[in-house]
Amino acid sequence: MRKSLAVAGMMLATGTSAFGQQVEPIEYTLDNGMKFLLLPRDEQPNIITAGWISPVGSVNERPGITGVSHLLEHLLFKGTDAIGTSDPELDEQYREQLTEIREKMRAYTLDVQYDRMMKGEIDNPWDPANDTDELRAMRAEMTAIQDKQAEITIKNEFDSIYTSNGASGMNAGTSNDFTVFYINIPSNKLELWAWMESDRLDNPSMRELDAERFVVIEERRQRLEATATGKLDEQFDSMFWVASPYGWPVIGWMSDLMAYTEDEIYQYFETYYQPANLTGVIVGDFDPAEAEQVIESYFGRLENKRAAPAPMVTHTVPLLGEVRFTGECDCQDQVEVRYRSVPFGHPDEAVFDVMADLLNGRTGRLYKSLVEEKEIATRARASNQSNHFAGSFSFSGVPKGRAELVDLEAAWYDELERLKTEPVGERELQKIKNQKAADTFRGLEDNSSLFFQLAITEAFGGYEYLNEMPKRVQAVTSEDIMRVANKYFNEHNRAVALYTRKGGVKPLLTLEDVKASLPEDMAGMLMPQIEMQLEQMSSLGLEELKSGLEEMKSMDGQYPPQLATAMEYMKQQVELRIQELESAGESNATEGDDQ
Amino acid sequence: MRNATTSILTGLALLTGAQAIAASDIPAHPSGIEYEELVFEPPVASEFRHELSSGVPVFMAPSHEFPLVTIRFSFKGGEYMEPEGKAGLAGLTGQLMRSGGNSAFGPNELDEEFDFLAADVSASVGGTTSSASINCLTSNFDEAYGLFVDMMKTPRFDEKRLGVLKSQILEGLKTRNDDGLQIAIREMGFLMWGMEYFEGRVSTKQSIESITTDDIRALHDRIFHPGNLMISVTGDFDEQEMLAVLEKTVAGWSMGELAPDVPQPTHVFEPGVYYYEKEQPQVQVLIGHRGIERDNPDAVSVEIMNDILGGSGFTSRITNSVRTREGLAYTAGSVFQNRVEYPGIFMSYFFTKTPTTAFATKLVFDEFETIQKEMASTDEIEIMQNSAIETFPRTFESKAGMLGIFMSDERTGRPEGHWQSYRDRVRGVTQEDVQRVANEYLHPEDAVILVVGPWEEIKAGNAASEADPNRIVTMDAFFGGNATELPQRDAETMKPVQQTVKKD
Repeated sequence: MRKSLAVAGMMLATGTSAFGQQVEPIEYTLDNGMKFLLLPRDEQPNIITAGWISPVGSVNERPGITGVSHLLEHLLFKGTDAIGTSDPELDEQYREQLTEIREKMRAYTLDVQYDRMMKGEIDNPWDPANDTDELRAMRAEMTAIQDKQAEITIKNEFDSIYTSNGASGMNAGTSNDFTVFYINIPSNKLELWAWMESDRLDNPSMRELDAERFVVIEERRQRLEATATGKLDEQFDSMFWVASPYGWPVIGWMSDLMAYTEDEIYQYFETYYQPANLTGVIVGDFDPAEAEQVIESYFGRLENKRAAPAPMVTHTVPLLGEVRFTGECDCQDQVEVRYRSVPFGHPDEAVFDVMADLLNGRTGRLYKSLVEEKEIATRARASNQSNHFAGSFSFSGVPKGRAELVDLEAAWYDELERLKTEPVGERELQKIKNQKAADTFRGLEDNSSLFFQLAITEAFGGYEYLNEMPKRVQAVTSEDIMRVANKYFNEHNRAVALYTRKGGVKPLLTLEDVKASLPEDMAGMLMPQIEMQLEQMSSLGLEELKSGLEEMKSMDGQYPPQLATAMEYMKQQVELRIQELESAGESNATEGDDQ
Repeated sequence: MRNATTSILTGLALLTGAQAIAASDIPAHPSGIEYEELVFEPPVASEFRHELSSGVPVFMAPSHEFPLVTIRFSFKGGEYMEPEGKAGLAGLTGQLMRSGGNSAFGPNELDEEFDFLAADVSASVGGTTSSASINCLTSNFDEAYGLFVDMMKTPRFDEKRLGVLKSQILEGLKTRNDDGLQIAIREMGFLMWGMEYFEGRVSTKQSIESITTDDIRALHDRIFHPGNLMISVTGDFDEQEMLAVLEKTVAGWSMGELAPDVPQPTHVFEPGVYYYEKEQPQVQVLIGHRGIERDNPDAVSVEIMNDILGGSGFTSRITNSVRTREGLAYTAGSVFQNRVEYPGIFMSYFFTKTPTTAFATKLVFDEFETIQKEMASTDEIEIMQNSAIETFPRTFESKAGMLGIFMSDERTGRPEGHWQSYRDRVRGVTQEDVQRVANEYLHPEDAVILVVGPWEEIKAGNAASEADPNRIVTMDAFFGGNATELPQRDAETMKPVQQTVKKD
């Protein structure tokens, strides 16, 4: 086997390492401030992944326009003055007519429909099913204009131009912190990419705005409302982040999705999508000198029309007490315990990442302890998410069999105590570092993976992070882990979410469960006793059973732990017998009344 | 510090003196841009193919960009070999093979070794093929690979690990009615393939509980042996050295009975509207029937036809009408899932709010009708032809993906020269072909329409919310308004249960 010296060294070293991989793109900035990162690479011949990123996301929004970053991302696929219509002038007229009727409908809705909602007459003022006759008439008028506009619309031309030129995987993504647009193109189509992208940055038409709102609403339903835990997760997020804009969903609150005006959307676009706020990234099989020429010609045309956007201002306040959120859904019982961690680039970020890895995987602490040893979880994991301006670290788990959510929560606090008080062993820590180092290579093997890493780190402050972070990971010590665990994780700054299955009931304990719970020597002795007591129970009356149950409850916590399941079982059987007797009494009484 | 680093990913050229294209040379529309011709010849399998002395084919494609090597052992055999009553055995076999230890180490010790060596190891038993693979650093290849081969040939199948895996699966079974899409896919499988055939079959509490390490060992031994084997290697290695390593791996590994061929499905489905009652704010709709075999001579024409209909994202008609024009769904499209041994499924799909289910369904049926009755324009066909031809190189973009295709082609007997002639065949598709295959392979009148959601509201349609009378549709528009209610199923046993869903 060929050996790589740098890597062989890393595997032997403990602590500091000669970590070798460097990502060094060509950096290039246009006169208008738009920056480019170019990374030529011929491992995947004839193919380029290209795109651009704006450091704008839901954190830049405010109540009333939540979700606008994401809707805008959708609208940027709707063509331009040149793309998407066979008659730009007529199209312009229709767009003006649509704006007019839309403004009328909005004003009417905020007045009449909101009033009806506040009086309790309707639930959702924006739902067409709640239209008044007047509003219904306006909506019909809007539909009629849209139908006329459709006659001169070249359907999805933006996409079909790319498609017929061999581009694939055209998409975009919006997060809390950034919005990114990307595509795979054949090597000879770089000029087409520059044409299309600079054109939509220059004069997007935002055609079909009204239909696209409904598309986004369906996306919200698909991703969130029609999923098992989506709606609860969204509320837990908003409780966890308190003041910070990370508290609202990227896709936006339902009430806001219908409400943005075209003007609000354009202003948002002009502020955050001016060239000085953007970075272009090209990875793959291309000649950088030719690329530079194309970039200069096309993206060099773009102008900054507004002052630079204001930085994100509202940082979150610390959690001053424990937050607990309980909810029911059509879902597995599950628990999450979440803490504030640190933002992207913070010196402790690497420590959180290593800590999550110590806990995860089949050789991680959570699997060993919660899944294998204690057998209270079927799934348990930890994760750190360092966003641009703030981060969170969380534990989550799904209980096994009769284990309760609180059992998982308690087991997590035990693990946390270990992290706070015991130094991590040398081999355990080295294992994580070895995996992290190998994963760094794995992440560089593919054009699109490289594209996203370059784009996102650059949007967050600089791609150099890609070269710096692996070194920081290799430098994490067991002392760092103890320090960070003690500093960030305590009972006063955590948020706990406990979800249980709607209408769910715990399965009843059986004699088999009791037998399995007892140590072997005790089982032989106790099982016959338990069975005898069960037999005796059938001869007891309601009052005797009730006082017996009270007595058993009063002794909770005083039994040796190995008897806990046996006692639970006895209480369960007494309760069942009481229910049986009581319901028999009730049905007798009912029959009596009828007679 | 700087000296100790290697710069593998460095921009090579210096950026000086590049001349921008003059503004006046920028065309008004991208159709005015001229491109250099891009020459691409598809790779030929035989140039990458080797054979071990036992006849096992080995496909190799080295690249030395990173100090990593990936070896994939691919075997014929899979889920279709599960004995009756043992649904889930295939999945469990792959999982326990990976996590149940090998002859030298117990499960925990082996996991610790792999993790410390930073080796990515996997094993799986899929529908018709199975695999075991390793991706590791070249620096510790010998050690990691030795442990991996031991795991693949003589897995320990630890009982305790089986218990953990089963409890995870059993817990997962409880969630099978939580997500509407999961219900829709499962019920469509039952309708199309029946509950017994491996394509439709799902595991149950009973089937999982009944699985023993003996069952697992038996399936492992039938699949994981050199008689069913092909190997691919990518990454940083020397071909001759690698062949010697693989020769040693396979030597002395006893040849078992060859895995049987995939059985033919026998289930016949009943067209019509079916619904599965579920209270949720969005309805999942699947419209489908049986499709075509992979090697059907019309496959390329069907591909182009379906790209126009709903298979090519925004540019296709269903996406355009259901999503872009009417705003009724975020996801909408159609797909032919071709199978090698028997016709697969054709399916159109979308997710929409309850009242617009019928309207969106009608739009999809309108598109079926249009593509059958009217010839597609040459422009529309050309866009899809160009796309198929220009994206063709991507099929072979990653070396691992390319070798995967070669292995699959050899195993399934794909006709010689398939890839070499592919672009010509695409270019040859005519307007007449598209219309002919639309009529031959789309059967809306014999389709299943499956919806998951609150039926009474779905059925009633969009009269209460639609401003344009011409857009009002109810479910009466399909199959004469007849619909069959599918039984609510117990999530764990999949047995029908009494209807407990509340109706207002």
